[in-house]
Amino acid sequence: MLRLFLHEMRVRRNGIIGWGIGLMLLPVVYIGMYPEFASLMEDMQELMDLAIYQAMGMNMGTFEAYMASSTTNMIPIVMSVYAVINGTGTLAGEEEDGRLELIVALPIPRWQIVTVKAAAMALSLFLIILVVSAGSAAALIAIEGKVKTDIAVTPLDLALAVISMWPLVTSLALISLFLGTITPRRRIASMIATVIIVVSYLGNNLAGMVESLELVQTFSLFHYFDATEHGLVEGQAAGDVLLLTAVMLISFGLAIVFFQQRDITVGTWPWTKAKMT
Amino acid sequence: MSEYVIETKGLTVYYGRHRGIENVDLQVEKGEVFGFLGPNGAGKTTMERTLLDIIRPSAGEALLFGNLDSRKDGVEARQRIGYLPGELSLYADMTASAYFKMYHALQGGNDTYWQTLADRLGLDSSRKIRNLSRGNKQKVGIVAAFMNKPELLILDEPTGGLDPLVQQTVIELVREAREGGATVFFSSHILPEVQAVCDRVGIIREGQLVAVKRVEELIRQQFQRVQFTFGTIPPADAFVLDGVTELRRDGNVVMLEIRENLNAVLTTAVAYTVTNIDIEAVSLEDIFLAYYGKGEGHA
Repeated sequence: MLRLFLHEMRVRRNGIIGWGIGLMLLPVVYIGMYPEFASLMEDMQELMDLAIYQAMGMNMGTFEAYMASSTTNMIPIVMSVYAVINGTGTLAGEEEDGRLELIVALPIPRWQIVTVKAAAMALSLFLIILVVSAGSAAALIAIEGKVKTDIAVTPLDLALAVISMWPLVTSLALISLFLGTITPRRRIASMIATVIIVVSYLGNNLAGMVESLELVQTFSLFHYFDATEHGLVEGQAAGDVLLLTAVMLISFGLAIVFFQQRDITVGTWPWTKAKMT
Repeated sequence: MSEYVIETKGLTVYYGRHRGIENVDLQVEKGEVFGFLGPNGAGKTTMERTLLDIIRPSAGEALLFGNLDSRKDGVEARQRIGYLPGELSLYADMTASAYFKMYHALQGGNDTYWQTLADRLGLDSSRKIRNLSRGNKQKVGIVAAFMNKPELLILDEPTGGLDPLVQQTVIELVREAREGGATVFFSSHILPEVQAVCDRVGIIREGQLVAVKRVEELIRQQFQRVQFTFGTIPPADAFVLDGVTELRRDGNVVMLEIRENLNAVLTTAVAYTVTNIDIEAVSLEDIFLAYYGKGEGHA
């Protein structure tokens, strides 16, 4: 199992490096540039009040809000792209390109294959987030003396806030993994996962603006991750983390159940398998 | 307890409404090389994947090594199986040697027999798989299938993409595996290869096992297709001979299918001044399709 896990990590190595560095540049550039246009930020508050920005969960009225917008608000959305690519690519993608056939033909129980691949995926997401987290904290340290002195967020707070997005993005990845086990093609799984993420993200932010739609928010995964300035300062609510953990475990469990039943290399919907007597 | 290495009983696989294999009853004995033959889409790959529990049966069962159910005891069974799929897809970023080490560890082995195999096949295992030619990738698959000295080898078109010398080495490896007591389930379209190495063959058509024969019987069913161009047009009944069928006639060009009486055909042909002869290569599938014909059931 360890050997398969190491192999899975090796396969993901380039993705971790590429996505880690690429995503790290986002907060580094945004936070690093802040001193250059800090004075303009207060003027931007009116702009941020526009519905379009609120729908995207953006706020730049304070330095803390600006940091939240450029880290905990923006990165999960970009990371969700990686989550979908990785989640659907892990079983469905490997099945489609034929590599999974040789793995399944080995003397390894299928639940172990799913477990190892899910663990490798979760760890790769964590490592990417860790790189982004370190970059964010480093950027904050670099500009600390150039902005106001009473910053409510320490570099450690910022680093932990970035790390706390792991349950959210891992949930999205595991949902994508599960979708790959019940759909005939990776493309279909990716489409469904993307729709879920976009609707979930926009639904959460739009519902937050309209009181009557508050109930809708409860169905959005993004509702359980506080991407605002408050989240940076206070951290995530334990209940939200538990709920996202439950989503992770349920998606993982369902992926095992459906992968156990699945005909590999056939590319059919699970319910089209005719059981004959 | 059965002594068969492979035994299927009413094995059936359907993908929704699409047929995979139907009601296949097959026994493969320990130590034999069994050729599994049939046209594309006949169900060969489905059969192999079902034995490996990659695909699950819709009905029936497959027993391996006497008492291991391919599904319930799949992990235990696969520990004793080496598999080469027909469409090989490998991890392109790995070197061949890293791939062998990983594959070896996952199968529970620990020796370096893969190195011996790679040398015999002329494979440079230090190169990344993405940089290997199709033939060399096929060698990687062959090494992976053989390197743990499995009791059962399931090989789907093992010599595809290989040059004739390496093809011969693969045939030798199959023979050596048999001599070492292994059983080989061998799928191929190449008749000389089947003749060279298989003890028995099973012929699958449209998902059904239509015959299981010894190779000698199969060889007796061989025929040739010969196209003569004549200087003088022969009469319509010129080639009415036992084992000879006139397939086509276009003016002075006559196409014959010859199972026997080749000398009589040549003697007759010479009488009408042969200006050209084309001998059409007949594939194993042609033989099967001609022998079993459309609509024929189990032989």
